[in-house]
Amino acid sequence: MSGRRRVAVTGLGVICALGHNLAEFWAALREGRSGIAPIHSVDVSKLRFQNGAEVRGYDPGAHFEPERTGLLDRFAQFALLAAREALLDSGLMLSPELGERTAVVCGSCLGGQTTQDAGFVELYRQDRGRVHPLSIPRIMANAGACQISMEFGTTGPAFTVSTACSSANHAIGHAFRMVRSGEAEAAVAGGSEAPFSFGLLKAWEAMRVIAPDTCRPFSRDRRGMILGEGGAMLVLEPFEAARARGAKIYAEIAGFGMSSDAHHITQPSVEGPARAMRAALSDAQICPEQIGYINAHGTGTPGNDPAETSAIREVFGAHVGRLPVSSTKSMHGHALGAAGALEAVATVMALREHILPPTANFTEPDPECDLDVIPHRARAAEVECALSNSFAFGGLNAVLAFRAYSA
Amino acid sequence: MSDGVTEKVLAIVALVKRIPREKISLDSALQELGLDSLDTIVLLSELEDQFKISISDDEARAIRSVRDIVEGIRRLTGNLSADSAAAPAD
Repeated sequence: MSGRRRVAVTGLGVICALGHNLAEFWAALREGRSGIAPIHSVDVSKLRFQNGAEVRGYDPGAHFEPERTGLLDRFAQFALLAAREALLDSGLMLSPELGERTAVVCGSCLGGQTTQDAGFVELYRQDRGRVHPLSIPRIMANAGACQISMEFGTTGPAFTVSTACSSANHAIGHAFRMVRSGEAEAAVAGGSEAPFSFGLLKAWEAMRVIAPDTCRPFSRDRRGMILGEGGAMLVLEPFEAARARGAKIYAEIAGFGMSSDAHHITQPSVEGPARAMRAALSDAQICPEQIGYINAHGTGTPGNDPAETSAIREVFGAHVGRLPVSSTKSMHGHALGAAGALEAVATVMALREHILPPTANFTEPDPECDLDVIPHRARAAEVECALSNSFAFGGLNAVLAFRAYSA
Repeated sequence: MSDGVTEKVLAIVALVKRIPREKISLDSALQELGLDSLDTIVLLSELEDQFKISISDDEARAIRSVRDIVEGIRRLTGNLSADSAAAPAD
């Protein structure tokens, strides 16, 4: 089968600072409750920042047999937990035939860096002479994708996309295109990340983009981003097949747009993100006026938010006056390679529940970020279509377009 | 004000941006010298290393010129003479 099939989202799974499942995640988003708190897993006494959005109260032993955890870095555990919830939620029965036509596409910026950091501490500082014998399968960035395919017996295409903060959007976008074209009959797509190690936090400290307080996207006094961790997965199916089996359809993925700035390794451009948003609209065959919500990249850095505002204004023109935009990173933090997946789930839920999640921690408007950013409180709104933006260091932009479900 | 701290800062800026030291003065703006955001991150890291200080993000954001750096370092080191610290690597 070829051509363009409609693509339905039929299952969602999440683990992040806001909760260990979809229900907890969505409850926090609709209440505007932030998961940002003092970092527990790393000694922050030698860091200039102290806050992060960590997964709390998480016990790997409650989810994995001991022999399995030896093979799984924290980022791969998050990928698996999100995939389990999403597949269970979808009710999809993965027969060997369907498994062979099912794709798994995961985003990760860093792979198993907590394993690498811990191993190198033993090697260099403790002079142990060896690292964990399973370090390589734990560290490899494709660990999430292959662990999902092994656990569920899916034997179709499986791979990991690593485009820094856009990884998950690139992953979901490619899975979407495989299902749309008929290359796959189902897909599990999303991202996972576990960035909390002392070595990596020092590296972020040196970049001088982490806020010392909290993440305040689009606020005048924003001071940077807050790192987050977690995983989120979506189950994608051809719309007609999902309807035929009576599946719960959350929303449709309608389009996907990509671009690269070819400009600067860390400074965002306006034109690149604008082109990615236009490409997503064009791919979805929808016009700007049909978009009723944007889940922004909205990192809360001095650089991103005004550039993203200008890009949105460039694409949407006068429609910006009727276009609510929020950054849920104010609540779940910036989970790097998982960010786009968390935000895709937030966007899908916004379309399904008719509630737009807010921008938390907002203080005062910035004239350079003059958008309707839904401060503090979620807003009831029935929206036809929505975008979810991800823009990465390196100027790699990926935008997903979603459409509310209607039979 | 051409003392140990100033000389050392001028040397570090020259080293980081790979420009002749003579082209840099106390009143040079970092932007004029061609330092972009990434050069500045590298410069701040080198300054922290050489002067054994920690420069906060807010202090870093306020820096516009070589003079701002010299004055900031004097504050952070409590007017410690830079000559007592190790010379920058060439």
